[in-house]
Amino acid sequence: MDYVLLGIQSVFSNTAMFSVFGVGIPSCLVTLFLGLLTGIAVGATPGLAGPTAMAVSLPILISVFGVRPDALLPVFGFLIGVMKGATVGGAVPAILFNVPGTPDAIMTTLDGHPMAKRGMPRRALRIAHFSSVTGDTASDIVLFVCAPFLAIMVERFLDLPEKTALIILSLTFISSVMGSSVGKGLIAVALGVLAATVATGQTFHPRLTLGIDGLQNGFPMVSAVLGALILGEIFVTLNDIWRGERQASTVQSSHGDVADGLQKGDLRRIMPHIARSSVIGTLIGALPGVGSTLAATLGYTVGRGIHKRRKRPEDPDFGEGAPEGIAATEAANSAVSGANLIPVLSLGIPGNAAAVFLILAADSIGGFNPGPAVFNFTRPQINPELVVAFGIFTLMALGNLLNWTIGGAFMRAMSVMSRIPIRLLLPIVLMVTLTAIYIQDTRMAALWITFGFGILGFFFRRLDIPVLPFVIAFILAGTLENTARQAFSATGGDPFFLFRSATSVIFLLMAVAIIVFLGRRKGHGAAATHPN
Amino acid sequence: MNRIARTCAMLASLVAAPFAATAQDWTPPGPITLMIGFAAGGGADTQARLVASGVEDKTGWTILPQQVTGNSGLNLAKELSTAPADGTVIGMVVSETLAYNAVIAGDPALQAENFTPLATTAAFQMGLIAVADGRFSTWDKVKAEAEAGTPIRFGVATERQADMAYHFGLETGIPFNIVSVAGGAEIMNGVRAGDLDIGWVAGAQAKAVTAGELVNIATAIPTPLAESPDAPSIVDLGSEFYLDGYFMFIAPKDIPEEARVALAQAIADVASDPNTQAGALIQRSFGGAAVLTGAELDAYIAKGVQDSSQLLEAIK
Repeated sequence: MDYVLLGIQSVFSNTAMFSVFGVGIPSCLVTLFLGLLTGIAVGATPGLAGPTAMAVSLPILISVFGVRPDALLPVFGFLIGVMKGATVGGAVPAILFNVPGTPDAIMTTLDGHPMAKRGMPRRALRIAHFSSVTGDTASDIVLFVCAPFLAIMVERFLDLPEKTALIILSLTFISSVMGSSVGKGLIAVALGVLAATVATGQTFHPRLTLGIDGLQNGFPMVSAVLGALILGEIFVTLNDIWRGERQASTVQSSHGDVADGLQKGDLRRIMPHIARSSVIGTLIGALPGVGSTLAATLGYTVGRGIHKRRKRPEDPDFGEGAPEGIAATEAANSAVSGANLIPVLSLGIPGNAAAVFLILAADSIGGFNPGPAVFNFTRPQINPELVVAFGIFTLMALGNLLNWTIGGAFMRAMSVMSRIPIRLLLPIVLMVTLTAIYIQDTRMAALWITFGFGILGFFFRRLDIPVLPFVIAFILAGTLENTARQAFSATGGDPFFLFRSATSVIFLLMAVAIIVFLGRRKGHGAAATHPN
Repeated sequence: MNRIARTCAMLASLVAAPFAATAQDWTPPGPITLMIGFAAGGGADTQARLVASGVEDKTGWTILPQQVTGNSGLNLAKELSTAPADGTVIGMVVSETLAYNAVIAGDPALQAENFTPLATTAAFQMGLIAVADGRFSTWDKVKAEAEAGTPIRFGVATERQADMAYHFGLETGIPFNIVSVAGGAEIMNGVRAGDLDIGWVAGAQAKAVTAGELVNIATAIPTPLAESPDAPSIVDLGSEFYLDGYFMFIAPKDIPEEARVALAQAIADVASDPNTQAGALIQRSFGGAAVLTGAELDAYIAKGVQDSSQLLEAIK
């Protein structure tokens, strides 16, 4: 309990950035607010998503706040703001122009846009906002409650060999659920682990560097992650534009005489859908690697089935502008974001791109290592990492509060963002990303490495290999190797340390089962959609 | 006039240097780059940056801190060995970088004689730790558990610590399961979580020991530990060597003597003054500064190199 108070206190007693009427405004509240606005704006811009904004802003934030431990909360504040803002903002162009601002808003176009076309864009936006923020808040509450308990359970019941097996299980799961086929996911994970082994390890002679001096510290995490995720995406988009494949269709909404804005009974109608989708989103979010797009699809599909049976005859169907459709989608995709931090904070395993950037931030600044050790309730000595964790929870709660109050108004003002042509946007993002990397790592080698990973990311996308498993494997490979090495030596050099306890054998069997089961199902799914 | 003055000053310094060079004789020809061999944001990094800003305040020089991490300080040594030897590039490492790590790496360019040690700031408060109320909370309990056949998991953070643990095991007849982790903080977490049983920690354990959560079951340095003055030393328990060491600043080989003296004195003054931020940090974490400079420091490093060779011989 003391830690909860300390966490809240750490947010409010953070270094004052400026003062209003003699009251110092803590810098992490300022960054949270700015992050939220940025996130909504970025979410509302088709072609940009939350992770891009987080990637670009992270190095800038680090150069502003430095790498001292008290920089953690302001930087996290901004990133959390972006994360929360983007989930809300993605619905804007989806509703107004039938163009999803973020990938997980695809299902929002199905009902949001028809409703806007019938002359009720404000009503659609308000429903989207309300559902999104409610789903997000619900999932955050689950995070606050579950993460500490899960972490404590892991520390109490899992020894080093079981932790190794757990990481293997997580990587297998991530590689199997992301992307079109299990095999491609496994390729991505294997390449990520391979890239992470360069120049790491324990000897004084860095391995796999081919004698190149620029590699004697290995691939810097910032270069590798931003290269594969951001540059790769930029290259693909440029390639598409060059081949003339990317034409966004913007349908103008016709304003009729229909009464706009929230209508009486709307909230009562959508509440059950929000509640159900929040549960779906939270459950999916808690599994690393599944992602918000699946949550949105699932929330929408389940909602449609129930709506069909229960709706009154005069109500619109899903797909014709039903408020329930917007609610079911938006609540589900937003509920993912909070729950996604459960594996990050309690196990150190990132489940989506946003979580990757939170880990990247923690890694660059230092002083906070996401993982079960964060939740050591030591006493009377204060565990600073735990204070940071509760500081993060406080920031998330405040972020929700801001989202409730000002998010809606700001969101409705953001429709202008979707008119920015992508060919102007991309060079800016590219330049800011490269500058940002150079700020953090002032070697030309870092930029070459970034380009290298960018090209790799390009081919991944062209070959339909998922990029995120590659990045997550790159981040987790070090932990996996160290835990395995430690487990090996702690058991006195037992080569079968993974098979000595029931727990780790169960984890490994689950990993095998996932590959077999999902591999078969995905194979069937592909055969069904592509009969050839 | 200016040139004459400078020539005079140079002549004066040349004459004075062999007798007693003092801080006033030397100013750096440009900003000083300080390479830091520790991860950004950690305790050692903070110490390095605070010493740098203390020296800036005291002397008016400009110091630019920069991270050169990896390979237990040897990446820094490699980069420093090719840096200009005029006092404008210095580095902060631990003494075992030049002693044990250089010896084991074997690269002739990285050996201690290719560097100029400037000054140490603080000594490791190295203890062998365990959970206070656990099965390994005293050396006798550790021995009893070992005799009962319990495998004992021993956390170490560097190559030298690993080899010392192995040597300690050889001398005491206990075959430890030696587990390498990333640092002292991780060893403490491992012990708390029950992943490890005992481990070396170089000073970060002070608060937890005072709070009664962890315990120093033995000291690995020649002087008693501040929090556990009664803990037996590992040499009493059978080891041939101590696991001592210092945080220290180094420069490339053959820097001008007056530069060495001026830099060493500035660093030493800041580290041993508890009114500076650096001095306060050192007081808090290590119970006070431990400053060695000049010939005394050279001798310490030479002894460290010799001990390292002997340790490597002993565990062959």
